[in-house]
Amino acid sequence: MTAIPAAERALRRSGVWMAVALLLVALVYVRALAFTPEEATQGLAQKIFYIHAPSAWVAFLACGIVGVCSLLYLFLKDARLDLLAASSAEVGTVFLTTVLVTGPIWGRTIWGAWWTWDARLTLTLFLWFICLGYLVLRTAVDEPGRRARYSAVLGILGALLVPFIHVSVLLFRTLHPKPVVLQTSRPQLPGSMLLTLILSFTVFTIFFVALLVRRYAWARLQDARAQGEADQSDASR
Amino acid sequence: MPPANGGYMVAAYVAAAVIYLSYSAWLFWRSRSR
Amino acid sequence: MASLLAQAWAIAAKDLLLEFRSRTAFLSALVFTALVLAIFNFARDPTAVATIDLAPSILWITFSFAGVLALNRAFSLEKENRTIDGLLLSPARRTALFLGKTAANLVFVGAVEAIALPLFALFFNVPLLGVLAPLVLVIALATIGFVTVGTLMSSMAVNTRFGEMMLLVLVLPFLVTPVSAAASMSAKIFAARPFAEWAPWLKLLTAYDITFFVICTLVFETTVEE
Repeated sequence: MTAIPAAERALRRSGVWMAVALLLVALVYVRALAFTPEEATQGLAQKIFYIHAPSAWVAFLACGIVGVCSLLYLFLKDARLDLLAASSAEVGTVFLTTVLVTGPIWGRTIWGAWWTWDARLTLTLFLWFICLGYLVLRTAVDEPGRRARYSAVLGILGALLVPFIHVSVLLFRTLHPKPVVLQTSRPQLPGSMLLTLILSFTVFTIFFVALLVRRYAWARLQDARAQGEADQSDASR
Repeated sequence: MPPANGGYMVAAYVAAAVIYLSYSAWLFWRSRSR
Repeated sequence: MASLLAQAWAIAAKDLLLEFRSRTAFLSALVFTALVLAIFNFARDPTAVATIDLAPSILWITFSFAGVLALNRAFSLEKENRTIDGLLLSPARRTALFLGKTAANLVFVGAVEAIALPLFALFFNVPLLGVLAPLVLVIALATIGFVTVGTLMSSMAVNTRFGEMMLLVLVLPFLVTPVSAAASMSAKIFAARPFAEWAPWLKLLTAYDITFFVICTLVFETTVEE
């Protein structure tokens, strides 16, 4: 019964962190848009990179957490691992969506086409499908123990699938190369741009952690309440 | 002379902001302790 | 080890015997596959693209989708009279249950493919006889790949709402490697390209099969524990 007040306190604290994180993201926006120089060959669209790349990093981090928690859950059977995995999958899906939206917009300017089955974006697309499948699976199973086990199985299999999809896409592309409209070699980022990128990576990581903590705290609270109701109905018999 | 693609930049930044703000708002309000 | 295989064999034999007696699922799968192949004829412009260029795609979309749909059968038949409880209470090990179910599924899907392949050759004028051996190897490896993962997923999907839809949602991302490898290899084989050109795909598909066979066998127990 003491789980509920503790969970409620955790939830309240996390609200502050979310506000701070959002403010930091806004500051990164200002920095990237107003205080970072324009890139000579790609133009202003290159700045999409400062949102796209950190989102991708965070999305992959989130999926890594799902994979690790899933594996640990199968051995330790701790419900908290399941709740953390589920929270990470949900927040990760949000960042994956951002990557899949900003990627094609940027791609349109570099490649001349919205979608070119680029290796990284294709991998991101399939990660997105796997995460959505994970979230849908959770809504389709009522019993918490079974839901946790099934999610963990999918989490592990999904994590193992990632390298295979990556290699499949690369192998497919080397045998079917696509023309590139604008050759963009790895740009050597001058100081100011590099600083913006580093700031963005840091802030997005903080933002991810803030969202994850909030989501996890909410999951713990729901779980504690459900446990409380189950205990009460047992006791009243 | 770099290409004039500021519109794409704005579209991407706005889209990302919409996604992040919507999810943050949804998460914040749905999870408030009642 | 011997008892494990014997148990798996017993479970597979039971499933296949049941299937042979009623034959409904097998005939439905066969008709579905034949229809998909036939409809493909109308989903293309024969004057625009040479049939042989589309042939690998037609073959693999048909085989993978028909194959996945056939997988529902394995565990849904155990759900009907809760015969899954009987299987779990028996002395048979969980691993044997998975191996048996997978084996039965492989025989089932393999049989559908064996009949659909000549039909495919007929409908789309694909000269198969000269390239039968490598093609059968590719079909076997790809089928093992998606049937193994599909059998594991169906053991979970059967216990969820919207079971069939859930199975598809869960399994389709896992088809990327088998389908891309099989289609690419088939294209090379139909074009009589040297082995070296499709060897990388063969290695990838073999690695995929081994990895997921091992993992699915290891985690299956978790999906049926109570």
